[in-house]
Amino acid sequence: MSTAPDLPADERPPLTEQASVRLHLVGTALVAGVAVVTVALVGATLLGDLTAAIDTAFALGSLVFGFGLLGWSSAVALGRGIEAMQEHLDTHTGWTEPDARRAMARILGFGLGVMAGATLVGSFVYGSVL
Amino acid sequence: MISTRFVLKRLLLLVPVLVGVASLVFAVLHLSPGDPALTIAGERASEEFVQQVRESLGLNDPIWVQYGRFLANAAQFEFGESFIIQRNTSVREVLTNKLPVTLELAIYGQLIGIFLGIPLGILSAVKQDSFTDHTTRIGALAGISVPIFWSGPLLILLFAQTLGWLPTSGRISVLYNVEAIRVTGLVTVDTLLAGEWEMFVSAARHMILPASVIGIYSMALISRMMRSSMLEVIRQDYMRTARAKGQGAKITVLKHGFRNAMIPVITVIGIQFGGLLGGAVLTETVFAIGGIGTLLVEAIKVGDYPIVQGTVLTFAFLFTLVNLGVDITYSILDPRIEQ
Repeated sequence: MSTAPDLPADERPPLTEQASVRLHLVGTALVAGVAVVTVALVGATLLGDLTAAIDTAFALGSLVFGFGLLGWSSAVALGRGIEAMQEHLDTHTGWTEPDARRAMARILGFGLGVMAGATLVGSFVYGSVL
Repeated sequence: MISTRFVLKRLLLLVPVLVGVASLVFAVLHLSPGDPALTIAGERASEEFVQQVRESLGLNDPIWVQYGRFLANAAQFEFGESFIIQRNTSVREVLTNKLPVTLELAIYGQLIGIFLGIPLGILSAVKQDSFTDHTTRIGALAGISVPIFWSGPLLILLFAQTLGWLPTSGRISVLYNVEAIRVTGLVTVDTLLAGEWEMFVSAARHMILPASVIGIYSMALISRMMRSSMLEVIRQDYMRTARAKGQGAKITVLKHGFRNAMIPVITVIGIQFGGLLGGAVLTETVFAIGGIGTLLVEAIKVGDYPIVQGTVLTFAFLFTLVNLGVDITYSILDPRIEQ
């Protein structure tokens, strides 16, 4: 994975390339989220109450999405500070801001995928399309 | 000089943080057991009435519609009315009354932490490996390790029960009606603004113990951070050059070392403010101060969802706002940060 923001300005790849890398990062996780929730909801249909399963799936998706988004923005806002703090307190754990940002982007993408999947399946069940 | 672009970028970061927190709150409240409609209607209410309440709260809408509505309302800081703790009172009003209590506690706690932690950290670094350094480090370690729910009652036992110097609980003596002079909601400030000296002394005496409990924890982390940061700065070439040019040790440390050593400490202060707000929940409970922390605990206990949502988002907003302030201070201390 590219580390565009960590490179000096003159060595960074073009903006379109950076955007595509980020889209790929979030997009693959999003597709995985949609796939996982669709399979889970098909399973729930066979077992019984689909409406409750959709509600729970969406809520779980928003939990993952919220966690990822919060983690991502915290990494962006406080990452450098946390790195400096670890350095000063001699408590290196190998945690870095770019790694945290990427990991959180994947998590938020997956959560978004679960929410989108639950909404799609739910739209058919409720008989209304957004 | 701080660039507007830098501040705008930081302000923009507030949006994902608040959306993230709102999503987490929405998810947790939907995943937790219990039916808000049943809570409002009461357990003896008819099924028809419960359905009416569900309809009026929009709980019959698809969950993604509820999520969208929740985010839109949260953006306007509109959480409806409390339905248990202060029935039919808007959450905004409840928070306006309670927030200053917690803020006052956190601000004084943080001030104690900063004004004790920074000098102790500098002293510890300058006198490295001396008796002062060891004492300060042990003190800092103890401060971090001792939990608030233990240090609080101990301080009450010593200063209130045994010595009788300070009051055990509350914000001000029951003899005074602080609501009559309310302006900011911060008792110490309001009493000063009203020129009520006796009331101010009472409020200040009530604040000493709870603020100290929070301050000790804060001081411990700040002094430890200041020490390590200052130790690193002291070894820099520019410090040696300043000394070689004949500048006194104290002036070198305070003029050249302090500003550079403060950068990581400022970050810690910002990160810690969130911890102070969290710590205020315990402190408020121990000292019987009815702030936003105890309100949150009570709301979770009885299932007053609008209060829970409003309180959590207020905490998140305050935390991000403080960190914005920290970032700005950071860029004043080291203009390279803006790059």
